[in-house]
Amino acid sequence: MNSRSSDQKSGQLVLPGERLGVIEEFVPNAGTYVENGVIYSKVVGRTLVDFSSRRVSVHPLNRGAGVPKVGATVVGQVSGVQNDTANVRIFKVGNKELSGVFTGVLHVSDVAMKYVESMFEVCKAGDILRAMVISDKNRTYHLSTKDKELGVVYAFCTNCGHMLELKRQGMHCQNCGRIEKRKTALDYAK
Amino acid sequence: MNDKPEKLIDKKGVRLDGRKPDELRPIKIDVGVLSNADGSAYIEHGKNKILAGAYGPREVHPKHLALQDRMLLRCRYHMAPFSVQERKSPAPSRREVELSKVIRESLEPSIFMEYYPRTALDVFVEVLQADGGTRCASITAAALAVADAGIPMRDIVVACAAGKVEDTIVLDLMDEEDKLGSADVPLALMPNLNAVTLLQMDGILTVEEFEQAVNLAIEGCKKISAIQKETLKAKYVDVKEVEE
Repeated sequence: MNSRSSDQKSGQLVLPGERLGVIEEFVPNAGTYVENGVIYSKVVGRTLVDFSSRRVSVHPLNRGAGVPKVGATVVGQVSGVQNDTANVRIFKVGNKELSGVFTGVLHVSDVAMKYVESMFEVCKAGDILRAMVISDKNRTYHLSTKDKELGVVYAFCTNCGHMLELKRQGMHCQNCGRIEKRKTALDYAK
Repeated sequence: MNDKPEKLIDKKGVRLDGRKPDELRPIKIDVGVLSNADGSAYIEHGKNKILAGAYGPREVHPKHLALQDRMLLRCRYHMAPFSVQERKSPAPSRREVELSKVIRESLEPSIFMEYYPRTALDVFVEVLQADGGTRCASITAAALAVADAGIPMRDIVVACAAGKVEDTIVLDLMDEEDKLGSADVPLALMPNLNAVTLLQMDGILTVEEFEQAVNLAIEGCKKISAIQKETLKAKYVDVKEVEE
């Protein structure tokens, strides 16, 4: 109808609700939505117009909202351990720090490929843990550490609270000499 | 308080503060003023001073409030005890509870609620100084706070009021006109989609007057929206310059 939508180019700063074009001329991609055949931006960001594939997307400029999704790697602090489960307060999803925390649950059967007897030999309250979200059913995030890269990244002594060091015989506390067990990630304390 | 003025509008059509009937009060907006909130905005609309902060999406507590298919939007409109001439009790009044609901319902259509199921988005609106039309200024600030938090939105909601003062339809009523005038029509708009998300009326208007007031309010909304968008864009232009 009018020509104002044809002068699109990449790198323009757009706000939510800003018109980007019509579906006849572009394929709407990430950061956009379509209403009545018109493509609008839904975030604050810069436009990215790919003229070869006729795709238009908006790359968000602000931090953006982060929520744990199935398949995402998350980092959290263990808030409590029972015999067969541990509760984790997730504070980081991917590389994004969250403003609040989401609660996740790690079950013994999801800790490692091999059989694990008890959750107490996997992690303790206060430890920092890296895990993957495997399900968000039943109103909770279910976590898994079944990977070399996943597991405890920082562990603390239950006796004196000092950080544990990874030794051959297990997790060793330099302060009080206590030895504990953890399911550590490959890059523990790095 | 000072005595009741004899005339709210003089013969030349000039209002108490020297505005024309279709003129807005001076507006100043800031975004990203709070470092602890995910998104925030501050608006000075005439003598109104309003601060809005948005948090989320975050885990819902208590958990039974969580919605399985979409995000929960919670709004709190609150007036500071020092925001009005006579000290206002800090406890939420009936009016504040209603305005919280009104702000929530006017923002809801603009946000993609279904993207973040089982989470909550909390919007806090604090009125530091009130001078009529706080609900509209609050909506304008709250929408900016949500956009600043990076929540996907259909449009940035903007709100403005029109009303009737001594048989004249005027734009953007201030406190005295609101109290002594005969009608008030607050309206919230999604300017790009041209959709109204809030429309209220207090007082009595004929159908023609109502139509005139609504059109005037929409014009006002569009003017405020331009300021609103300019502010939001300016924030990111500044950020980029700092990075370079």
